[in-house]
Amino acid sequence: MSSAPVRIAGMGLVCAAGSSPETVFTALTAGECAIAPPTRFHPQVSPHLPVGEVPLAPPADGDDLPPTHWLARQAATQAMAGTDAPPDAIVLGITTGGMALTEDLLQKKIADPAAYARHAVGSVAQDLLDQTGCKGSVLTVSTACSSGAVALFLAAQLIRRGICRRVLAGGADSLCRLTYYGFKSLQLIDDEGARPLCADRRGMSVAEGAGLLLLDDTPPGPDDVALLGGGLSCDAFHAAKPHPEGEGAAAAIEAALADAGVSFSTIDYVNLHGTGTPDNDLAEARALRQIAAEEKLPPLSSIKGAVGHPLAAAGAMEAVIAAQTIKHQQLPPNTGCSDPDPELEIDLDAARRDGRIDRVLSNSFGFGGNNAALVIGRAPASPPACTAAGRPFSIRGYAALSGRGSTAATLAALTAEESVGGCADPAEIDNGLDPGLIRRLKRLPRMTLALTKACGCGPEGTPPEAIYFGTGWGALSETHDFLERLFKSEERFPSPMDFIGSVHNAAAGQLALWTGAKGDNLTTTCPYAAFEQALYSAQLLQKDGCGGPVLVLGADEAHPHLSPKLDPDVAAGAPLAEGGGALHLDPQAHPGSPSLRLLGLDYAAEGTDEEPLTRLERVVPTTSVTRRYGLVMVGLPASCRGAAETQLAAWRSATGYAGPLIDYRRQTGDFATASAMATVWAAALMDDPSQTSCPPGKGILILNLGTVMGAIAVTPPLEGRPRKGAA
Amino acid sequence: MPNLMQELPKKIVATLNLPDIDPDEIDPDEQLVGGRLGIDSIDVLEMVMLIEKDYGVIIDSKELGAKVFASLRTLAAHIEGQAGELPN
Repeated sequence: MSSAPVRIAGMGLVCAAGSSPETVFTALTAGECAIAPPTRFHPQVSPHLPVGEVPLAPPADGDDLPPTHWLARQAATQAMAGTDAPPDAIVLGITTGGMALTEDLLQKKIADPAAYARHAVGSVAQDLLDQTGCKGSVLTVSTACSSGAVALFLAAQLIRRGICRRVLAGGADSLCRLTYYGFKSLQLIDDEGARPLCADRRGMSVAEGAGLLLLDDTPPGPDDVALLGGGLSCDAFHAAKPHPEGEGAAAAIEAALADAGVSFSTIDYVNLHGTGTPDNDLAEARALRQIAAEEKLPPLSSIKGAVGHPLAAAGAMEAVIAAQTIKHQQLPPNTGCSDPDPELEIDLDAARRDGRIDRVLSNSFGFGGNNAALVIGRAPASPPACTAAGRPFSIRGYAALSGRGSTAATLAALTAEESVGGCADPAEIDNGLDPGLIRRLKRLPRMTLALTKACGCGPEGTPPEAIYFGTGWGALSETHDFLERLFKSEERFPSPMDFIGSVHNAAAGQLALWTGAKGDNLTTTCPYAAFEQALYSAQLLQKDGCGGPVLVLGADEAHPHLSPKLDPDVAAGAPLAEGGGALHLDPQAHPGSPSLRLLGLDYAAEGTDEEPLTRLERVVPTTSVTRRYGLVMVGLPASCRGAAETQLAAWRSATGYAGPLIDYRRQTGDFATASAMATVWAAALMDDPSQTSCPPGKGILILNLGTVMGAIAVTPPLEGRPRKGAA
Repeated sequence: MPNLMQELPKKIVATLNLPDIDPDEIDPDEQLVGGRLGIDSIDVLEMVMLIEKDYGVIIDSKELGAKVFASLRTLAAHIEGQAGELPN
């Protein structure tokens, strides 16, 4: 049941308290508070709320780098110091991306898409490829305040499954008006600075920072600190508030302990999520109380009273701090709390059990009820073996949505070689959805609800065990409307509804609320391969042999004002297109059902000189292609079509593939998660071979080329005649 | 001061996008939050913003909010009692 410990080989940390793990830890243990009014960031509304701002001047190299990106670069430099070998993958948790810069650009009405090149949440990880020399996968998760911890857990799976030898992982976020005013509009900010666990605490302090860990596959020795385990869950309770009894939090903690193979009684210190909001601190205390049962709690503290809440960076920063407590055998105090709340039943002066700190539990509970917990510590003497690579999923159901309409209309048009591009009719999206359910939701969450319903995963049946959602650009309507109203009202009247809806993981959180799905709930993001990343995450987090069916989906909305600026394909002249696809997948094999698997994903630094065929070999082995696949759907994004077509020609020559080829974006439209729609199309064709020229017994390959390369395989059912059926 | 009891229900229904609710049929004393209208805590925050923007009245605590948003009548009374100059 428990899994192999993963060695922490390097660490980097930048936050309000300092710019290295050592300086930050020294400041924390000295009880210093680094929360103060912003200086680099200039809110229009007074008084200014205190924040955790990083006291670093941005690099003066003339490159307009958004702050999230330069914070991540700083932490990456530290984490990679002392090693020459590049990581095989980069996994980051991010919520803000380039938003701090984008806000300025939008307010100045800058229309040139080149200025927005680093807006994408997924662009921070891509930006690190050059500096680290990484050639391989990039994964970006955006699950609000749990993102950094989720990223570390995903990275650990890459190593445990023998896919990667070294992974650079963590989280980063910067201050921006969207989050500063967004949390303020929810009345979640303490205008005197966060005071976690305090009796009269009033809220959090927004902050920025970056925490990165270099994880590798060296078996941890007695002097090493390792990531021992992790656990994820979703409250499925409320879009912005935690479950009051901390049920989801407790589930994540228990999953982390089980994954680490340890009991709660062996935890020497708990690094709390401890934001300082009345609701979080109480729910978290209740969760811990529930798990501890009759035992006393170990020492615990939150560092957010000292450095604030750096959102996606929090889980990773706190993992670094957890490692520091073990290295230095010292605990950071719960800065900011003078008068502990008796309702929490927490003893801030709890003595250490036997004087040593060998094992730390670190909690990160995000917006939308998205929970993560990590166990960090000295590895056991005889650790369990590494996990197997995971099995293909069986496809139990699927659905699509496009400018043409829902599943049947979309698939019929695609198979008839017609285009389904364009914007979806709102009436089609809303059809069959309860008006009361969707009244506060704008386009993207309505699309994902419609896809989930059409896939057969609505609340009538058993909830999916987990939800993995990929989106290139997130909820553009809510983001646009929030910023427009913020600017028009001179920052005085931000919309709470639009803020809650604007976070990338809001849509997946709504799906959890609607279906009752309380397991893993991940949102991945990338301008080209968000769906591939979602499918990859589902594979990495498969509960070997004992998991239930999961929902994997990809969707994007096209926004008339934002897409032309942010989306490189639209900027390159592609007409607005939107939609997506959803698949109901089962890790258990089902005879008669086709299978689905992500074969590989590869990113390259801008201006890379690596041969495309070398990259492609990492994505799908050349020699297997003609034998296994009878139809190839190739994705050639408008923004890099020239390069992608050259790659395709080289690939066809190398593989000798001469079978049918569909340039699918000409039909699905050019949008970030078009591959989700293509995958559903492939599943439908596999279900009904009369519709396709793919020879029986062979699979369909969805090959994506250009800046990002990815390959997804849909393979025929194991026995004889395939079953016909779609949602 | 314009007729708040006429104006408020229309603004609330529009801002919160309440489906199938006729503003004229909201009883002045019926429970606004958690009642048949389906208004919840997120809606309350949105209404707080609306009241501040349109009437210049600030509601910045949960306790005050619970009292003020009890019904249309309590909301109108609070605004009338608090509003100084109305912003444009």
